[in-house]
Amino acid sequence: MRMNPRSTMGVLLALALVCVLSVSAVGAKAPVTLTFWPSSNPQEIEFAKIIVKAWNDSHPDIQVKMEPLPASRSTEEVLLAAIAAGTTPDICANIYPGAISQYIAGKGLYPHDTLPGFYDFVYARTPKDVVDAFTYKDGHVYQIPWKGNPIMLAYNVKLLRANGIDTKSLATYSGFLAAAERMVKDLDGDGRPDQWLYAPTVDVTWWQRLFDFYTLYIGASGGKTLLSAAGKVDFENDAAVQVFTFLQTIFKKGLCPKGAMIGDAFLNGKIAATITGPWSVPYYDQNAPAGFEYDFVPIPVPDGMRGPVITFGDPKNIAIFATSKHPLEAWEFVKFIMSCENDLLWLEITSQPPYRRDLAKDPMFAGYFKENPLMAKFVEQGVYTRGVDDSKYLIEIFDAISKQYDLCCVQGKKTPKIAVRDAAQAVRDILAGW
Amino acid sequence: MRTLTKALGYILLTVAALTFIYPFLWMASASLKPENEIGTLALISRNFSLRGYSAVFKQIPIGRALFNSGLVSITSTTSVLVFSSMVGYALARLRFLGRDSIFNLVLLTMMIPGQLLLIPMYILVVRLGWTDSYRALIIPAMISNMGIIVFRQFFKSLPQDLVDAARIDGCSDYRILFQIFWPLSKPVLITVGIITFIGSWNEVLWPLIVIRKWNMMTMPQMVTLFHVGGLANAQVAAEMAAAMMLAFPVIVAYLFFQRYFIESLALSGIKG
Amino acid sequence: MLGRLAEQYRTSDKAGYVMVLPYILHFLLFTAYPLVFAFVLVFNRWDIVTPMEFIGIRNIQRLLRDATFWTAVINTLRFLASHIPLQIVLSLLIAVILNGPIKLRSFFRGAFFLPFVISGAVVTILWQQLYSTDAGILNLILNRIGMQPVPWLTDPAWAIYSIAIMATWKNMGFYIVLFLAGLQNVPHELYEAASIDGANRSQQFWKITLPLLQPVMLLVVILSTIGGFSLFIEPFVMTGGGPAESTLSVVLYLYKQAFQFLRMGYAATIGFALAIMIFVVTFIQRKLLDTDQPA
Repeated sequence: MRMNPRSTMGVLLALALVCVLSVSAVGAKAPVTLTFWPSSNPQEIEFAKIIVKAWNDSHPDIQVKMEPLPASRSTEEVLLAAIAAGTTPDICANIYPGAISQYIAGKGLYPHDTLPGFYDFVYARTPKDVVDAFTYKDGHVYQIPWKGNPIMLAYNVKLLRANGIDTKSLATYSGFLAAAERMVKDLDGDGRPDQWLYAPTVDVTWWQRLFDFYTLYIGASGGKTLLSAAGKVDFENDAAVQVFTFLQTIFKKGLCPKGAMIGDAFLNGKIAATITGPWSVPYYDQNAPAGFEYDFVPIPVPDGMRGPVITFGDPKNIAIFATSKHPLEAWEFVKFIMSCENDLLWLEITSQPPYRRDLAKDPMFAGYFKENPLMAKFVEQGVYTRGVDDSKYLIEIFDAISKQYDLCCVQGKKTPKIAVRDAAQAVRDILAGW
Repeated sequence: MRTLTKALGYILLTVAALTFIYPFLWMASASLKPENEIGTLALISRNFSLRGYSAVFKQIPIGRALFNSGLVSITSTTSVLVFSSMVGYALARLRFLGRDSIFNLVLLTMMIPGQLLLIPMYILVVRLGWTDSYRALIIPAMISNMGIIVFRQFFKSLPQDLVDAARIDGCSDYRILFQIFWPLSKPVLITVGIITFIGSWNEVLWPLIVIRKWNMMTMPQMVTLFHVGGLANAQVAAEMAAAMMLAFPVIVAYLFFQRYFIESLALSGIKG
Repeated sequence: MLGRLAEQYRTSDKAGYVMVLPYILHFLLFTAYPLVFAFVLVFNRWDIVTPMEFIGIRNIQRLLRDATFWTAVINTLRFLASHIPLQIVLSLLIAVILNGPIKLRSFFRGAFFLPFVISGAVVTILWQQLYSTDAGILNLILNRIGMQPVPWLTDPAWAIYSIAIMATWKNMGFYIVLFLAGLQNVPHELYEAASIDGANRSQQFWKITLPLLQPVMLLVVILSTIGGFSLFIEPFVMTGGGPAESTLSVVLYLYKQAFQFLRMGYAATIGFALAIMIFVVTFIQRKLLDTDQPA
């Protein structure tokens, strides 16, 4: 049979097509699966579910599996246990910078600056000084700045107004304490007060101090953290003593309830103010009783301080783990999490401001801020925040401070000066690495 | 005079019994009340609400925890019964080199406090790659020193003729143990079984250390973390609901097998 | 010698070696190895994620001058000093009553025993609510009868004793049953003989019952002691070791050092110290309370 040139071409083409297809089929990879650990906060889980689904739908070759971190007395325990056991995920979106030294010591985290296009992406999104703050001393970037929750003072608008308290008075310690005295009232006549201004916690767990002592200390010291750049104790000073005195006075004068309360005391109207961050906003909106009005002001500082109030920035970052078998694919997913659209989605669902430059002025977010004027306050405050020090012993340091907080402020058994001195000594002991 | 003391006795007993039962009643009622009524003494609230329970189911995979606890406890208990009785049989009725040394070893290790071995056992589990797995919960619990002692004690009291007759019939030791001794050991099996099961079911510290993933946790561990980790957000009804669900299976079993529970523990106490 | 061993082996029941194998394996893996490793850890510093560092006896030196550790020990002793007498007195009292001609004995016994089988986590969570200073039922009842509320868990002077009360409540059923069994083992004839001799009920109790209860008493004391040293879940859940470290137990301190601060070597040192303390205390108790002579 004589071959028709056209049919020969056709056969050859078909053969070529088959070859190409088979080669590409062989070369095509099985889908890569990445494990992703978001935090256990319900809104963060909601956000994670949405973006994971969106990603999986559009990336059949890179599938992401989401596993929320279990709650514990501290999630840092869980992450360290995972690093020790080698059961780490590819990506975790709940990296707390304070514990970073421990993770790095465990060789747990990936040097992200070695990823392709890292600095381009990160500098486009986040101001340089934020990135610098999270660069480790060996020059590598082991955590990608993601979001910061500036800690402020939430207050019950109607309750303060009803008691004749001007929020401006809450800006200084003496004004705050005076307001607290006015708020303590026995409303049901049973001889015990049922209303207070502010209830510092009596819980001695180390991370609780982040939201009372540490936040107030940053404000009172004009932006200092606990350790100096050289890693030495830097908090044995007047500011710390003033914070301890402030907190001790609240307990000593009975300006706060003794012991745990049932239910959320702020939402129940039992206490009029609480120190918290933007993550509370969706929680309050969902759970507050009808007619509940709240707003935010900066935390109080000692009398006579000038300048903007600096507060704790409760940062949380994203990291790819060193054990990940697919760091490049993981990086793609991380960029997706921090894309402009997803940052906006994140903000809408969780109300936690991402570390995006010029957030307030960015046109994409303008609509959001118009609808949520409260959040603008956080963005404003977000410029004046500090994180925690980079120390392997951070948990122990805060535990030592907790002990003095308990003895001095809650129990009133020590003077603030001695408590600060003892805390500083204990921390020096820890840092000396006994 | 006699009747006065008797009356006093009854009063004391009743008051005491009330103090023992009332807290559980309070817990049950708190789990069914809306938040703002929990501080009252009233046991039955007019605003009966299941919100506590629904909150628990929504926030933590408690059904899975129930399954985990069940699986772990049943497997551990079965394993303990099989292996402890096996070792107890060998120590009681067989002659071999090192038998008495092994018995003394069992006695000695019972005196070692568990907390001493906690950290190294955790490291061992990590090295074996058993974290977040059932193996970590079951295998360390597979054999019980107390069980060995109790079985040995009991098997020693069984008549030798039984064994002789079985041997003549050509039975292996395993058949003697499981087909002849076991049917005769029902009280001991139940005793050791119940103690092991309750111990395994209520264990919290070890799971807290080796299990970190939500869906592998045991029930008491999950309820503890629910309470301590702040997830409950100070919702007392939800916490009480979780505690109720944890206590409920044990209470039900207890009501049915009360006699065995009490006698078994008393028996082991006296022997120990 | 070797010949004799070989002979013994030849005539032994071979099945025995196989049957004890599970125990041997289990012992080696979960008792022997951890024990040796714990001992090694005492002389090292290790946080699991970085390599072990040999530091000689520094852990032990640190332990001896660690104020927090000794606070934990004192807390435990305060717990034992309150819990054990309370437990013995109450359990024995109820057991004696229950031993008499009481109807509904099973019901009462069942009621008292219930808390014992319930998980410690449940009991702790429950009592934390009951003990709440402002909103707890206990203070509510005290308020109704005109008494001042008690700062059960918020006052360092009270907290550890509040935990002791809760522990007594939880375990009383077990000890009641133990005492009941012991009481029922006392032969009736002794009481009858004593009555004939003119001894009244009180004398009979002190001269006959108590002495014959010695073995049970010793058992109760030792078991409560070991339980007291193992205190963990109660402070972990209820107070986190506070207020003012008054409820920090030794095991809780061990847990914090190991799993919050990752100081494995130091935690192992605490573990050994604990074992030594338990051994010493129970040894003393046995010397004091163990009578081998019949009454």
